[in-house]
Amino acid sequence: MRFVRRHLLTLYAILAFAYLLVPIGLVILFSFNNPTGRYNYTWRGFTLDHWRNWDGVPGLREAMTLSLEIALLASIVATVLGTLIALALVRYGFRGRGGTNLLIFLPMATPEIVLGASLLTLFLNLKVFLGFSTILIAHIMFCISYVVVTVKARLVGFDRSLEEAAMDLGANEWVTFRKVTLPLIAPAILAGALLSFALSIDDFVITYFNAGSEVTFPLFVWGAARVGAPPQVNVMGTLIFVVALGLMVLNVLLQRTREGRAAT
Amino acid sequence: MNDVLTRQELLRRAALGAGLLSVPGLLAACGGSSGGGGSKKELADTLVFSNWTYYMDKDKKTKKWRTLEAFKKKFGVNVKYTEDINSNSQFFGKIQGPLSRGQSIDRDLIVLTDNERFLATMIDKGWVEKLDKDALPNIQNLVDVQKSPPFDTHRDYSLPWASGMTGIAYNAKLTKPVTSMEQLLEDKTLKGKVSVLDNISDTLGLVMLSNGDDPSRVTDDTFKSAIGRVKTASDSGQLRQITGNDYTGPLANGDLAACVAWSGDIDQLQADNANLKWGIPKAGGMIWTDNVLIPKDGDAYTASVFMNYIYDPEVAAKLYGTIHYISPVKGSREALAKIDPETAKNELFFPTEQTLSQVHLIDPTFLKNQSYNEQWQAVLGA
Amino acid sequence: MGFFHRHRGLTPYLLLAPGLAWLAVFFLVPLGFLAYQSLQSGSFDVAYAFDWSWGNYWDALQRYHEQLTRSIIYAGLATVFALLISYPLAYWIAFRGGRWKNLLLIMVIAPFFVTYLIRTLAWQTILADQGPVVGIFRDVGILGDGGRLLATSTAVVAGITYNFLPFMALPLYVSLEAIDHRLIEAAEDLYASRLQAFLRVTLPLSLPGVVAGTLLTFIPAAGDFINAELLGTPKQTMIGNVIQSKFLELGDYPSAAALSFTLMAVILVLIAIYARALGTEKLTG
Repeated sequence: MRFVRRHLLTLYAILAFAYLLVPIGLVILFSFNNPTGRYNYTWRGFTLDHWRNWDGVPGLREAMTLSLEIALLASIVATVLGTLIALALVRYGFRGRGGTNLLIFLPMATPEIVLGASLLTLFLNLKVFLGFSTILIAHIMFCISYVVVTVKARLVGFDRSLEEAAMDLGANEWVTFRKVTLPLIAPAILAGALLSFALSIDDFVITYFNAGSEVTFPLFVWGAARVGAPPQVNVMGTLIFVVALGLMVLNVLLQRTREGRAAT
Repeated sequence: MNDVLTRQELLRRAALGAGLLSVPGLLAACGGSSGGGGSKKELADTLVFSNWTYYMDKDKKTKKWRTLEAFKKKFGVNVKYTEDINSNSQFFGKIQGPLSRGQSIDRDLIVLTDNERFLATMIDKGWVEKLDKDALPNIQNLVDVQKSPPFDTHRDYSLPWASGMTGIAYNAKLTKPVTSMEQLLEDKTLKGKVSVLDNISDTLGLVMLSNGDDPSRVTDDTFKSAIGRVKTASDSGQLRQITGNDYTGPLANGDLAACVAWSGDIDQLQADNANLKWGIPKAGGMIWTDNVLIPKDGDAYTASVFMNYIYDPEVAAKLYGTIHYISPVKGSREALAKIDPETAKNELFFPTEQTLSQVHLIDPTFLKNQSYNEQWQAVLGA
Repeated sequence: MGFFHRHRGLTPYLLLAPGLAWLAVFFLVPLGFLAYQSLQSGSFDVAYAFDWSWGNYWDALQRYHEQLTRSIIYAGLATVFALLISYPLAYWIAFRGGRWKNLLLIMVIAPFFVTYLIRTLAWQTILADQGPVVGIFRDVGILGDGGRLLATSTAVVAGITYNFLPFMALPLYVSLEAIDHRLIEAAEDLYASRLQAFLRVTLPLSLPGVVAGTLLTFIPAAGDFINAELLGTPKQTMIGNVIQSKFLELGDYPSAAALSFTLMAVILVLIAIYARALGTEKLTG
């Protein structure tokens, strides 16, 4: 009983992760399935075929690559733009604060279908070619708000005395920002970037309207999934998940070595 | 004069297996106008074709589209094939933006279904190019019943790609055979285990037939009684859900005992659950056809040459024998019987005259009626 | 650096400029067009014409107040559940995650790598009538004999909760991670129990994260349509479904636009009330 009480939180966390990842587990499991028909609903038998043949569905790899490129670029740009806005909102007084906050909330409140269609109208009126750049523009647009709100949450409780101390010790504004502020709000910036990445890689409706003839991973899957997605779709999803985890593990291990070296 | 010369050139070169016809002189000689409306008599390098999923035959070994590769070999045209159409309304919602502004959607061929309003709307609004009939001698192979549909009476703009039937599927392990909409909508033993489709033609068509009415001639009264039955079933909880094409999951795993379903899905579903059966209701079923269109600024000539290739019974036999949807090409069943007699006999993919006499087309003016559509959307909860 | 000293007043505007410019061009302009469209009338057959059609808005409130209300309720419930589920999880990652924090955060957003539709379909399999979850619920008695989880409001709310969990968890983590542990130690030194320390120190300090998470979950959830479409019946449709229907099936762009603005207005009113209740500093900093 003592054990449970002490580790209650950890047990809860495990359950919570299980809840989050159970559908993923199912997806991973069915990537090893060997369906006879086009549907992947019933377990037929274990096979590595679809893993060996991961590139066997025409267009799937290109769709995944496109989605990753856009997600990466969009989250970087949106994070930069959003962090700047968050800094301005929390630290400075200026006219138009209310309007700015409104402008930040509105994109989140607008239903995707009308947002996507109206953005398309803009692009059509400007006679812009629909493709990579229009998808990217759209994704950056709807990610900014999420970054702003996330980073603001960190800035609101920020203890300015640390910055004041640094400046008292002779650091100018820029150095203070770089060496004191930024590291302290880094987790928030990372969280904002992660949310943007997730939003971008998962977006369907807005992308659908503004993609022209390009096909992103959600666009590819959305069409296939309802009529029977090939197991390679499951393989792709699993691969991304595993690669992302792997990168993080690598990151942790590298940190260890860096700290180890610094200690010596 | 020039046109005839060009076509003979084309046939000659094709026979020699030469491939691409891209001599500038030919283009100048034929004097075709550029841009929308005019027909270029030169084959393009690429044909951009947007279609639904599972409508093209994939070669398991080479991972390429067999029919498209064969076409490329014969005519030197690379077909850029994307399966990005999964809903008529969604796809139309996307392309109506550029089309309504007179802009191109960068596609040469798209496919829309005749049991929703969007196909007719495309033609009515003039957002399509005319087929190049000179390049389409095989159009004579079009089955008679498709020769003059109400939305395109002279087949100037569209050609069928594939057809399917709408009937009732049921799980033999969970229920006795379900062969009528009465059972589906009113049999209490099936309560909460049945569903209908959110497609107005598929569902209301079947209900009208069950009422003894003709879905190809809809009146306010027949509409009212049909929609009334569905609404009652939905409100009372008889219907588990009203779904799009995502009924397949619940049907396969047993959440649904019976539902309105398409013929093309069922043989694939049976691989997952052998207890599933499909049939045309006693009162009659519906038939729908996915048609190809050439959107504005699409290359009508190359697209027509492509469709002409498809409408060759030998080519059609191989294509439809693999994708398992109903072929619109006369003689394709006979051609398939020579290489794959089993599939050629399958009623689902190559229905006999007898079967075809049991399925009905929807009234096209019904589709365009905004009030009917609004009422149906209200039943769906919107 | 002298530039910024001399032009201190300019700094906020310089910081805001790039992001706001982006939003101005790629959001406000389209929104303007949408506003214009909301005052039009027309559909696929009737040409769209601008005629100050305020009736669209009146229509929206009158005919669809049920879906509007339902959307707010579902989104609200999903937000509360997401908060309850995510808070302990975010706490655990922030306080006990150590060097693995980033890895754990990735695992929180991992579901997004497999596309909305596939996640929801996976839940359709897990919560199937013949599946294990429903089986357990029936045995335990939560569900009646013929009861089901899918095609119910429970399924829809559960789906929304699940899909927006990261939007709640990540901001919560951001706040919790920043808490100086010495404050908690100090509280305990002053004879506070673990629970008191949590309630008096941790919880208040994490409030900005709670607010952020609530906003990032509730606001987009209110406009969701896919969960109701796949996991619900016509009795569970949300305003998002109505807007989809008006736009795609009926070509009634003016109604879709008016409905969208109505939704946005309702959300903004609710946020204003929320901000009032909390005290605006928490929201705007």
